[in-house]
Amino acid sequence: MTPGTARIGRPHRIAIDLWASLELIGSLGKYLGLAAALPIAVALWYGEPIWPYVVAGAITSGFGFALERLAARPGNRVGIREGFLVVSMTWLLAAAFACIPYLLAGGDQLSHPVDAYFEGMSGFTTTGATVVTDFDDLDRSLAMWRQFTQWLGGMGIIVLAIAVLPRLRVGGRQLMESELPGPEIGTLSERIRSTARRLWLLYVLLTAAEALALSAIGWLGYDDRMTPYEAIAHAFTTLPTGGFSTQARSIEAFSAASQWVIAVFIILAGANFALMYRAILRRRPQVFVRDEEFRLYVALIAAATVFLTAQLWAYGLAEGEEAVRTGLFQVVTIMTSTGYATTDFALWPILPILTLFALMFVGGSAGSTSGGIKIVRHLLLGKILRREIDQTLSAELVMPVRLNRTPVDEKTLRAVAAFVLLYIGLWVVGAAVIAVEVAAFTNVELSAFEPLAISASAIGNVGPAFGVTGPMGSYAPLGDASKITMIVLMWAGRLEILPVVVLLTRHYWRL
Amino acid sequence: MRVFLIGAGQVGTTIVEALHEDHEITVLDTEGSRLQALTSRFDVAVFEGNGTSRKDLSAAGIGRADLVIACTSRDEVNIVAGMFSRREAEKATTVIRTSSSEYVELWREGQLDVDFVVSSELETAYAISRILGVPAARQTDVFADGQVQVGEFDVDENASADVVGVPLRNASLPSDSKVAAIIRGDGMILPRGDEELLHGDRVVIIGSPAAAKAWSALLWPEGGTVRDVVIYGAGRVGSAIARVLREQGLSVRMVEAEREQARRVAEAFPDVRVFNASGFDPDFLERERIGQAQAGIFAMRDDAKNQYAASLASVHGIPFTIAIAHEAVSISAFEQAGIDVSVNPRAVTAEEIVRFAHDPRMQQVAMLEGNRYEVLDVTTRETSRYIGMSFRDMPVHGSLIGAIVRNGQAIFPHGDDVLEAGDRVIIFTEAANAPWVVEAL
Repeated sequence: MTPGTARIGRPHRIAIDLWASLELIGSLGKYLGLAAALPIAVALWYGEPIWPYVVAGAITSGFGFALERLAARPGNRVGIREGFLVVSMTWLLAAAFACIPYLLAGGDQLSHPVDAYFEGMSGFTTTGATVVTDFDDLDRSLAMWRQFTQWLGGMGIIVLAIAVLPRLRVGGRQLMESELPGPEIGTLSERIRSTARRLWLLYVLLTAAEALALSAIGWLGYDDRMTPYEAIAHAFTTLPTGGFSTQARSIEAFSAASQWVIAVFIILAGANFALMYRAILRRRPQVFVRDEEFRLYVALIAAATVFLTAQLWAYGLAEGEEAVRTGLFQVVTIMTSTGYATTDFALWPILPILTLFALMFVGGSAGSTSGGIKIVRHLLLGKILRREIDQTLSAELVMPVRLNRTPVDEKTLRAVAAFVLLYIGLWVVGAAVIAVEVAAFTNVELSAFEPLAISASAIGNVGPAFGVTGPMGSYAPLGDASKITMIVLMWAGRLEILPVVVLLTRHYWRL
Repeated sequence: MRVFLIGAGQVGTTIVEALHEDHEITVLDTEGSRLQALTSRFDVAVFEGNGTSRKDLSAAGIGRADLVIACTSRDEVNIVAGMFSRREAEKATTVIRTSSSEYVELWREGQLDVDFVVSSELETAYAISRILGVPAARQTDVFADGQVQVGEFDVDENASADVVGVPLRNASLPSDSKVAAIIRGDGMILPRGDEELLHGDRVVIIGSPAAAKAWSALLWPEGGTVRDVVIYGAGRVGSAIARVLREQGLSVRMVEAEREQARRVAEAFPDVRVFNASGFDPDFLERERIGQAQAGIFAMRDDAKNQYAASLASVHGIPFTIAIAHEAVSISAFEQAGIDVSVNPRAVTAEEIVRFAHDPRMQQVAMLEGNRYEVLDVTTRETSRYIGMSFRDMPVHGSLIGAIVRNGQAIFPHGDDVLEAGDRVIIFTEAANAPWVVEAL
């Protein structure tokens, strides 16, 4: 043996540090199980059984603890590569955690594992698509657990972990960027941990504000059904742009005053949280006016509301304040990917339905809790196209794309274009799978357009689609293949596709 | 005055050339060969050493200097030398050269502890902006916060017949201006009213900025006002020019061959159209209508490229070309090639720095025709024998007063006006006469 070979050693075939990833996933799971404390408290309050949540929390924490112990190796380090795996797997784990109480306490409508996992993934990804048909059959604690999973998923469980757990400080930035929506996170601080803390602080404050505002409406007698329970439950799903409701008729069950308040908080939830932090907590409201994305966000809401309200009025579906309220509410709920409804818009004529369908692709602002493509990507894509057109005329022209007057680097622009293409590709493939399965293996009646809408709704984390899967319907009639497709779409959509897609490449795993 | 100079490159040499007769100069440089070249031409003390070494500076006698000029081509050396000069020569005026606008900003904010900062790029950009204001001028300078402009013009076949071949006193000349000198062949004439301008003359005009523009229009009626320029080269010089011209509201296009450089400048100037192209491709010139710009400024690093690009641009129709000549020798080559105006950044810088070496009463000086003539800005003494004398009665000693500044206002004097004590006098003179003129006022 020559001296060299001993030092060179055997070839390493695996490109990622699997043990480090598993250890971190375990560690996150360990703490995630603590979230069961909230439904336990609710169950105690209403005298409902607590064991489903105790079991769920124990399984999740126990699994996490065991994984962390078994995977612990000296020198474990989570780098950029491992981050993608950690984020993707943690979200799969979270959905599994969420579905345990559904299996144990959900009765017949949630007893099928695919249905339960669908509901769990729809919760954590803040989609709001549901397989529940009989809401009165759910325990109050279980209904609150559904709402609470959306609240945890909205600002992000990893962002929360970075904010409160000391161990994630190293490598936190990349983890956080995989989880936070939008191409740039508009950092509030050099330190990723204080950014995470500030985002969560604002999130908690806004949630509390909405819960108080809705409770006040109930106390003042403007809405008999808006109890503190309902106020908290809906605050939990408004700020994450989630869309789960405790009511079968969604927000239609509540009064006009409640609907207005919820609409306002939906608009806030779809705005950039870093921007809001500066505007509200730092008292610099002028940052709203200066931000190109925010201006476009507001302009789009206004334009779409005028358009939809005019249609409702013209079709005789609503008029006066009701038309404006219905128009605005449906626009913001679909555009920001919330998924509430104040009317069964699935029954509308085709033009207003297509208007809502188009809004599914808009999304909220970057750095908000919304899903979809997001305003800033539309903005940048428009600028990229504008530049392409200019450069067809003048090939040598050098035109940096600017956002808020600052040049955006080419890597970000390519990522934006790649994201939009992947988004559209996944949407079409998802729609195809759903269409084939529904047509060949179920007897559900879907129009040609509906698989497209279902797929768009899932990848955009919106929730309802049209037809039987409309806001007052459910996804229960679809087959397992369609539901699993939607689970993947929701998962990929929430993590903004790339962290999930890189896991599918050979070079991610092998050198 | 004792002048201590750090850096014997082109700028340093030009400064020595301008100052060596009246001042005691010590030059410090790291390269002995440069110093040797300097001593063979001028009577100056030299010292081989490092401008960033306090020991070397001290040994070379910086402590005795009245004026310290750090003008190497490296900003860092100049800044460090300037800092040491503050310690070693506390009463000396310190002037440093920089090529970064960032340091100029810092100095303006009071963050850089030197008396003056002169930026070659910025001075070049200002020079070009003045030239664009009076496109017919070969060279221009401003005095008294821009109230008085000095311009050197060619009288060629473009010139209006109203001024050529007509005695000056009969010609309708722009008011608030004076023909300070006519350079004809190798000689210079200080014109009287019966003198005439001829084709091939070069004239020096002192007047208000409006009058300078009017002269430009007389001598080049088609020149017009430049609103739209193309700049070749987006390096430091090109960028500085673009910034200054944009501030004046001109429309600017830039051509830069290097991709990274082009990107940087495009990011820095949102309203400048930047092309990543060599600028030598006829297809490009045609497609982008480069020839329709009113003026082309050639600020690439390579003089040869500047000359070729300027000629090509002329062929494509650009009526007015200004080229940066990094080497002094390129100036005459550019002239041969038909380029309208050449600007040598080092000469511009040296000229700016030399101003600090003059008599405290003298605020400013402009050099014309490669140092043969100067325009001075001198404050008159109460004891001067010319106080109270009308301009008609003043003797002509190879010099001529073009304007006076009284209580902050520029006056373009007529024969009956009288010189008062404390007036600032803008005076054209042969360089050799300058010390005498300053003495007499």
